[in-house]
Amino acid sequence: MAKLIGGLGTSHVPSIGAAIDKGLRDTPDWKPFFDGYIPGQDWVKEHKPDVAVVIFNDHGNSFFLDKVPTFAVGCAEEYRPVDEGWGPRAIPSFKGAVDFSWHFIDTLIENRFDPMICQEIEVDHGIQVPMELFWGRPAEWPVQVVPIFVNVIQYPIPLPSRCYEMGRVLRQAIESYPTDERFVVLGTGGLSHQLQGARAGFVNPEADRAFLNDIATDPDKLAGMSREQYVEMFGSEGAELMMWLVMRGAMDRDVVVRHKHYFVPASMTGAGMIVMENAATASPAVAA
Amino acid sequence: MEEKPGQDRIPDTPLFDRKRSLGGYRINKMAMGLSRPENREAFKQDESAYLDRFGLTPEEKEAVMTRNWREMVRLGGNLFFILKISAVDPVRITEIGAHQAGMEHDDFLRNRLGKKV
Repeated sequence: MAKLIGGLGTSHVPSIGAAIDKGLRDTPDWKPFFDGYIPGQDWVKEHKPDVAVVIFNDHGNSFFLDKVPTFAVGCAEEYRPVDEGWGPRAIPSFKGAVDFSWHFIDTLIENRFDPMICQEIEVDHGIQVPMELFWGRPAEWPVQVVPIFVNVIQYPIPLPSRCYEMGRVLRQAIESYPTDERFVVLGTGGLSHQLQGARAGFVNPEADRAFLNDIATDPDKLAGMSREQYVEMFGSEGAELMMWLVMRGAMDRDVVVRHKHYFVPASMTGAGMIVMENAATASPAVAA
Repeated sequence: MEEKPGQDRIPDTPLFDRKRSLGGYRINKMAMGLSRPENREAFKQDESAYLDRFGLTPEEKEAVMTRNWREMVRLGGNLFFILKISAVDPVRITEIGAHQAGMEHDDFLRNRLGKKV
């Protein structure tokens, strides 16, 4: 059966992609941010996953307000970068793990989750930036992807606990998938930021650092928080952090944190990264 | 998440609820249009005519044409959509933030984002 080898969390701020495009990686503003991801990239190189399930939100690029799916799952052969207003970015298209996507959708429905099914859809920075942060800029992506879109823009947005529960179903789908492929799950978004209203520019480094601890050691607490608490603590757009709970829900209760990084501000956002493995299957050298 | 009339439950934090989504539909649809190159060109050529295509009210048009971000958001514009205006008429997102916070850009960077400027 397929195997879950790790859970990754990362911000997906569009300015990160723009900084790479403009060659700003090594400027004083950005170097400390990007350098913090090197251990994450090394982890990916060492562990060679075959499939990346990426949880993110569309930012008014692939979906407009006319149709807003609460949860949507891609099952396309290919996902091209969408034009967000500046033209599609010059990065390779993502190859879909089509068979697994359908298997996941089956498993969701059997577990009373009812996602929108997307056979043809373009993707925005929500998935592009996390892929670039962990895999760099290859000529072709060395993994297939499964995009999970979560609505965190149009209220009512889903409950954090619902994201967590979806993660458990994702784990079930991975472990009942009859191949020997190696899976990673990427929870993306956040950390604290607010782009709208007079509180624009709100960041909360203290809460961000606590989140990076709690996501490993006390995910039940994070899943039990209300949407309003997320908005209050992480800002109106930072509430998207709840998407990390899909990733966390796919993992065991006990995890080992392999790498962690925090940097503020990336553009207007507290930016964070984490790499976790299930404690039961983590390599012993590191689990010490 | 119920909303008290005329008041956000978390101060200065407009959540994109039903009321805002309905109110801002025209502005957001207009801005969504800017993800197509031909519409970006139309916006550049004759902004007023482009806005009319989406039936913006005079109040909404004024907010867009004066790049009054605070007002666009007040009218239901959602930042993820209206940000596309900055692809046609470049402005930094931190300037959009500073405008909404009612602060000078440098003060905004220093006091909100903790940058040394």
